[in-house]
Amino acid sequence: MIRDITIGQYFPGTSLIHKLDPRMKIVLLVLNIAALFLCRNFFSLLLMFVMSVAWVLLSRIPFATILKGLKMILVILVFTAFLQIFYNDDGTVLWHPVESWDFKITTGGVFSAVFIAVRIISLILMSTLLTYTTSPTLLTDAIERLLSPLKVFKIKVHSLAMMMTIALRFIPTLIEEIDIIMSAQKARGADLETGSLVQRAKALVPILVPLFVNSFRRAYELAFAMEARCYGGDEKRTRLRVMKLGGKDFAMLAVTLVCFAAVVVTSYVNMGSFFLFEKVI
Amino acid sequence: MAFLEVKNINYSYSKGTPFEIAALKNCSFAVEKGEYVGVIGHTGSGKSTLMQMLNALQKPDSGAVLLDGKDINTDKVTARDTRFRVGLVFQYPEYQLFEETVRKDIAYGPTNMKLSPEEIEQRVLEAANIVGLPSDLLDKSPFDLSGGEKRRAAIAGVMAMKPEVLILDEPAAGLDPIGRKVIMDMINKYRASTGATVLLVSHSMETVAAVADRILVLNKGTIAMDGTVDSVFSRAKELIEMGLDVPAVTRIAVCLKEMGYEVNTGVYSVADAADMLLHLLGKKEGTA
Ligand SMILES: Nc1ncnc2c1ncn2[C@@H]1O[C@H](COP(=O)(O)OP(=O)(O)OP(=O)(O)O)[C@@H](O)[C@H]1O
Ligand SMILES: [Mg+2]
Repeated sequence: MIRDITIGQYFPGTSLIHKLDPRMKIVLLVLNIAALFLCRNFFSLLLMFVMSVAWVLLSRIPFATILKGLKMILVILVFTAFLQIFYNDDGTVLWHPVESWDFKITTGGVFSAVFIAVRIISLILMSTLLTYTTSPTLLTDAIERLLSPLKVFKIKVHSLAMMMTIALRFIPTLIEEIDIIMSAQKARGADLETGSLVQRAKALVPILVPLFVNSFRRAYELAFAMEARCYGGDEKRTRLRVMKLGGKDFAMLAVTLVCFAAVVVTSYVNMGSFFLFEKVI
Repeated sequence: MAFLEVKNINYSYSKGTPFEIAALKNCSFAVEKGEYVGVIGHTGSGKSTLMQMLNALQKPDSGAVLLDGKDINTDKVTARDTRFRVGLVFQYPEYQLFEETVRKDIAYGPTNMKLSPEEIEQRVLEAANIVGLPSDLLDKSPFDLSGGEKRRAAIAGVMAMKPEVLILDEPAAGLDPIGRKVIMDMINKYRASTGATVLLVSHSMETVAAVADRILVLNKGTIAMDGTVDSVFSRAKELIEMGLDVPAVTRIAVCLKEMGYEVNTGVYSVADAADMLLHLLGKKEGTA
């Protein structure tokens, strides 16, 4: 059950997306996210949605897997969209049950709810795709290199990247551990599913305490093991894998930049009153 | 009707993903009240999975687990009640301690059973006594105990629920021979005082052979053998082929047999092996 969480999981493959330079992937993701937040009308949003679906298709990761990841955020999605419906009361009124109340549903509300929902979905699609198609080691390696200019400010970029690698590496271990501890406490009659909110929160103590204790123990062990081997990656480390940008990286960059420009132009330059170009948010 | 019965259960992990793996395939067996059953199998053969089926922590995809003739997976209440009757000690149970004191930790199970405070206190003392935890340790934090003491405290936590079936998943993993012996003695003590049925999961055939009446051998998710210790050991060659760690003396007997000597390959204790060798030597001298 808890093991179905796929955040941060990596699905090995040989698709175009898998083969992109991870540094470029991160840059493209940042550009795409920025574009998503710059979207103002349905045209630009649709463009970005199509882009994210195209990325998924190119990665050749089965849609079923992607949808399973999306299921996790369904609650957040519905909640945000729901709030939007009531928050925004522009446009024509669709439903106004009680005359004296301020409560009504308008076209503006519905449009912005749909808008937000599509935006979140596209956001999740693109960002999960990054971890789905890039191994954690490559990912942190790429982040380290992208951040390396910060070394000028005496920031220990390598240590930061190492911490991220370790954190990512231990997500599956932690999930497995939660699963085992939960089972073990259930075997002693722990009841996690019934009772009031307070009771349920209390029932978590037998799971959280061992989880934290074990995590600290593991962290110490790892630190000792690294020190025992004189780990010091900060200085003068050379690399086995040298990342190199290639033709496909620049091709994807070009496509992304064109989309980015299209989003900016259609959102911030007056394009007339065609529905798709009308400002929603 | 058997006390605890497993009927044709199948179970797969990660169903519907590319990582799907069949952990149990059509397993069936029955255990009578008071039996001491050893469960052995290679790493990944499905021992832990099967044990978690027996107290309704995992639900079989198909098939059923019956306790006293009743399906334990009918509803949540039955499942939870089953967990008090079938106690399961996990692999490395010491990593699941959480309370401020050992006493409170041992009391966690009985408290969940909603017993009276006096009854709980009594059960804690009894369990601590069985596992040999001195009473001055009971008010210490479980995190201040030694590794071996932690393991005992954790086992006591399950014993305090007084389950009718006690399942222990590799209780002696990572312990030295003396530590192993202490754990085996604890189990015997518990059995003697409650008459409970015991299922002991282990990698070590030697440990299991020394204590159990009967052995279940798991191989790749199926029950490969089910019988008395002697009958299982008489198929020692198959056990070795399954990658199991048979006692050294059994290995010697199998080798001797392959060299053409008439020996019983089912020996597993040093004393039996000595008898066998003496017998063999005697016969050779006689014929030569
Ligand atoms: N939570 C899980 N998710 C996916 N697969 C699992 C999970 N737990 C176990 N498995 C797989 O199921 C099979 C049986 O595992 P199980 O833990 O029951 O083996 P085991 O006999 O207890 O092994 P060991 O002696 O190492 O403890 C193994 O192939 C294992 O990889
Ligand atoms: Mg196991």
